[in-house]
Amino acid sequence: MSRINDVGGMEGFPLAGQELNEPPFHADWEAHVFAMNAALIRRGCYNLDEFRDAIERMPPQEYLAASYYERWFHAITALLVDKGVLTAQEVSGD
Amino acid sequence: MTERFRPGDRVLTSRADPVHHTRLPRYARGAAGTVVELEGRYPLPDDRSRGLPAELQPVYAVRFPAAELFGAGDHQVTLALWESYLRPLSEEVARDE
Repeated sequence: MSRINDVGGMEGFPLAGQELNEPPFHADWEAHVFAMNAALIRRGCYNLDEFRDAIERMPPQEYLAASYYERWFHAITALLVDKGVLTAQEVSGD
Repeated sequence: MTERFRPGDRVLTSRADPVHHTRLPRYARGAAGTVVELEGRYPLPDDRSRGLPAELQPVYAVRFPAAELFGAGDHQVTLALWESYLRPLSEEVARDE
């Protein structure tokens, strides 16, 4: 079934605006997420298609509320739990 | 491995609505287009995203009239599509258009 990412051609979303002089990252944590994802893919922890799939598996309401790199962070942590690298408890910090 | 399609071939995209990751967007399902060129060979994301062995498969640039996809618009939309998303558009269907 189609997932929340697949909204091309759908009416009602605001136009994607372009930020003037947009920086590569809007906060340090975004750069860390970017680097961590590249390192995990390079080490073979998961591949790019698994990463995209993990973003698309987000619950729709969470997906729509999340920023670009928040989606990345969600996908990375979900994959690390799926692969047994981290436990859900370690991710949540409980 | 040989390619099933050549530039200029008329093709029809899959209507399948898979539960898994795919690179065929919903708006381009069941659409008639024209192969522009071979873009290379890449593993099928539908398989690779599920941890299945994904053999390299031809990927084509396929051009669609916007009206075919969205019901309106006089521009063209070109998508990179894996070979298994496509089947030949039969001459019968082409004549009916």
